[in-house]
Amino acid sequence: MPARLQTLLPIRAAIRGRAARWAQRRQGPDDAVTRLRPARIYILPTGVGLVYALMTFAMLLGSMNYNNNLSFVLTFLLAGLGLVSMHQCQRNLVDLEIGFAGVDPVFAGESIEFRIAITNSAKSRRHDLQLSAGRARSDIADLAPGESRVFTLALPTERRGRVRLERFGIRTRFPFELFRAWSWLHMDLQGLVYPAPADDAPPPPATQSAHGHRQHDARGEEDFAGFRQFHDGDSPRHVAWKAYARSGELLSKQFAGADTSSQWFDFDEVPLGDTEERLSVLARWIVDADRTHRDYGLRLPAAAFPPAHGDAHRHRCLEALALFEIVGARA
Amino acid sequence: MRRRSGTDGALLASLPWTLAALAFAVAPHVQYLPAWITATLFACAAARWQMERKRWRLPPAWARIVLSLLCFAGVFASFDYTISGVGPGSALLAVMAALKLLETRQRRDQFVLLFISVFLVMAALLREQYVWSLPYLVAGLGLTMTAWLRMSSVAAEPARASFGAAGRLLLYAAPLALAMWILFPRIAAPFWAVPIDKSETSAGLNDHMSPGDISSLSLSDAVAFRVEFEGKPPAPSQRYWRGLVLDRFNGRTWRGRDPTELDARDELQVYGEPVRYQVTMEPTGQRWVYALDIPYRSNLEDSFMGQQHELASAQPIDQRVAYSAVSYLQYRIDPALPGFMKSWFLRLPEDRNPRTAELARTMRRTAGSDREFIEDVLQKFHEEAFYYTLEPPPLGANPVDEFLFETRRGFCEHYASAFAVMMRAAGLPARIVLGYQGGEINPLGQYMIVRQSDAHAWTEVWLEGRGWERVDPTAAVAPARIESGMSGAVLAGIGARWGLDAPSRLLHRLVLTWDVFNARWNDWVLGYGPERQNAFLQSLGMERPDWRKMMLTLTGILVILVTVISLLLLRRYRPPRRDPAARLYRQFTRKAGVDPARGESPRDYAGRLASAGVASVEAVERVTVHYLAARYGPNNRRELEALRTAISDFAAVRR
Repeated sequence: MPARLQTLLPIRAAIRGRAARWAQRRQGPDDAVTRLRPARIYILPTGVGLVYALMTFAMLLGSMNYNNNLSFVLTFLLAGLGLVSMHQCQRNLVDLEIGFAGVDPVFAGESIEFRIAITNSAKSRRHDLQLSAGRARSDIADLAPGESRVFTLALPTERRGRVRLERFGIRTRFPFELFRAWSWLHMDLQGLVYPAPADDAPPPPATQSAHGHRQHDARGEEDFAGFRQFHDGDSPRHVAWKAYARSGELLSKQFAGADTSSQWFDFDEVPLGDTEERLSVLARWIVDADRTHRDYGLRLPAAAFPPAHGDAHRHRCLEALALFEIVGARA
Repeated sequence: MRRRSGTDGALLASLPWTLAALAFAVAPHVQYLPAWITATLFACAAARWQMERKRWRLPPAWARIVLSLLCFAGVFASFDYTISGVGPGSALLAVMAALKLLETRQRRDQFVLLFISVFLVMAALLREQYVWSLPYLVAGLGLTMTAWLRMSSVAAEPARASFGAAGRLLLYAAPLALAMWILFPRIAAPFWAVPIDKSETSAGLNDHMSPGDISSLSLSDAVAFRVEFEGKPPAPSQRYWRGLVLDRFNGRTWRGRDPTELDARDELQVYGEPVRYQVTMEPTGQRWVYALDIPYRSNLEDSFMGQQHELASAQPIDQRVAYSAVSYLQYRIDPALPGFMKSWFLRLPEDRNPRTAELARTMRRTAGSDREFIEDVLQKFHEEAFYYTLEPPPLGANPVDEFLFETRRGFCEHYASAFAVMMRAAGLPARIVLGYQGGEINPLGQYMIVRQSDAHAWTEVWLEGRGWERVDPTAAVAPARIESGMSGAVLAGIGARWGLDAPSRLLHRLVLTWDVFNARWNDWVLGYGPERQNAFLQSLGMERPDWRKMMLTLTGILVILVTVISLLLLRRYRPPRRDPAARLYRQFTRKAGVDPARGESPRDYAGRLASAGVASVEAVERVTVHYLAARYGPNNRRELEALRTAISDFAAVRR
């Protein structure tokens, strides 16, 4: 965008915000599957459309000046095409079915992907569809008759907690990009953002055996499971010295073993840092433990999850971290 | 990130269409454009296409700037340092298209090319408006809009689908365009005058006459003008269409009068019945307007009657004009010519054509009277070995002498010139009239066609007590030329040369039919101006149309048409309302006794039914699978049957 237009951006944003709020008041909240009614589809000419109008007007003046009836024909065909394409543009969105198709939790810093399914139940092809939310844009795609397709809106995340997608838009510029028709949807979608696992986490607390006494290096050593970054406290026996000699990077070998022991990760036992840092460290421990299929438990000041493993357990623990001390988070 | 310097093949689907649209738009201009511009455009298009296919880099910025400067300077120089008018305008558009191609990187950069393509189509229409110009503009627009669709869509549809979509939109736009075309108020006067390439529209007679000028026209069967008479058309020998009068001779070339040199108006008396008629004249780029000899009055705007009864327009005729005129076949001009006028019409360059002057003086001495002398000269042309030919030999410094005494082969201008010189040499005031002679009645359309090949030159001789009298020396040499018209004479000549008879009657009939079509086209499409629009709207029942009424009616009609189109479009995008699969599915949900929630997908609904134990999982699954296939699948007739049986087999478990 040219520099001089940059100054207009705040004004544009303000107008958009106002228009969006007006649309929301007008439409009310949407269901999880919403059919686009004509009355909620808005339309404005694009820059190309304005140039097109200007060109047509110039041609009208030219035709009048030369009293040339064939160039009148050309001019009026162009004008007619403009009018038709305005209606075609709006109709291209009518009666699309838009539904929420899920969102997976992510760690803070990653982008969270809201999946939106759009179904074209008509007998005609829908052209040039794109979703948007804020600065995020989905792919542009057509929908064949009867086709249903999942579009992805990837939003950047910074902090743990819930991410709300109050509003997203669907737009089309078919045909000719002379007009842009769009509709806003207010489904109030929510996604979950786990705390980012700390990069330089201290080693997890020592493993306790089922009988309660400390048992060093009880991780099974039967099956080599991969490498991970060396952390203080890892046994020197597990350091991949060959890899170190090659790359200078200190890696620990991980083993998946028949591990009967379990570990408790306790918020209060994290050696240092404020709440966010502690949550980050806990997230790192959980991710690492999960990767090696160990049992682990999580103890927070207000909740405790007894040792277990598996995706569901991991999600419960990370969700607890994500929503830790966030007011109204459980909603 | 897109690499700024390379092509990435993203234009492969749209660029060929853009190039095709450009080629189509520029095609009618090629014959008028300097060859180097066409070559540049072609080279740039080929180069750009190759770059896209081979993923080559675009030329660097400095090369493009140098090329641009060269091209713009070239256009400027090729058109005599002017950029106004259709010629330089279309050249600039073509050059801009060529240069823009070389910096077209992204898909959407092609917008500029397509705008140029539309302007080129319009420029072609300003240049010439034949019957085929209408299909040309529709095809050009269709191609451009197809390219436009392909450029603006990311998903590459098959080309046929884009073509169909553009055609469909154009079809919707057609009634809107028709309504606008009929009702948009036409105005008479242009806002500003821009030349439409005078050199190109210039056709027909010049304002002077040298040997060979008219014979070069005589092979052109282009229409000069068409005439509709209010009564019976005059006899062929009376069909002299007066253009301009030439009364100054330099030994070779006859020229018109310079009013600053001699300012004297001929005196005209008319007798008998007036002849009334309407003329539709093709553009000539000249100011002469043709009317039956002798013109009395015309209603052409901005026109005037010249000193020697030549009808002329104040502005060059750059566009087709229509006018009605009144002429008299019986008339008398200047029965009494003052002495200074007589000597004006006797002037001859003294040192040129001496043998002709000598011959004339001798013949006048032997003749009893002026009139007898005229008859003697005509007799000489008739009896001696003079030939009427389209390919007269070139003549030197004393063209009249050479013609009369050596070559003896000539066209009407040779005879008229020689005759006038002889008259003047013998002391009879004489002048040349340029115009058309003849005209073919088109029986299919009841109007007369006068073609460029009917261009003619004849003389007027002043006789004491009688005034100016028309004498056509060509009639003495080739009477058929006057009686059956030029086309007949020339075609017979051509046929004789190739050993054939006159062209077949069928062909002639085809030519006449085509001309009727052309005449109607000119009248109704190209000539749809303020008067015709008024008359047409009145015939449709609009009382005293003015621009306000037209615009209001137009707005109303457009609103109605657009509403209809909008509803048609809506129907395309509504899901089938009474989809048979959906109807069957509703039977199924009623049978199951559980209403689907709003927005619940069939799959979710099936899961809910199964988990609620309403029916067997298999039966629900069967219905659901067939329903989805019947509703959204490709082969839904068979699936519909399967769905029907699945639903009739389905039985809800009653607990």
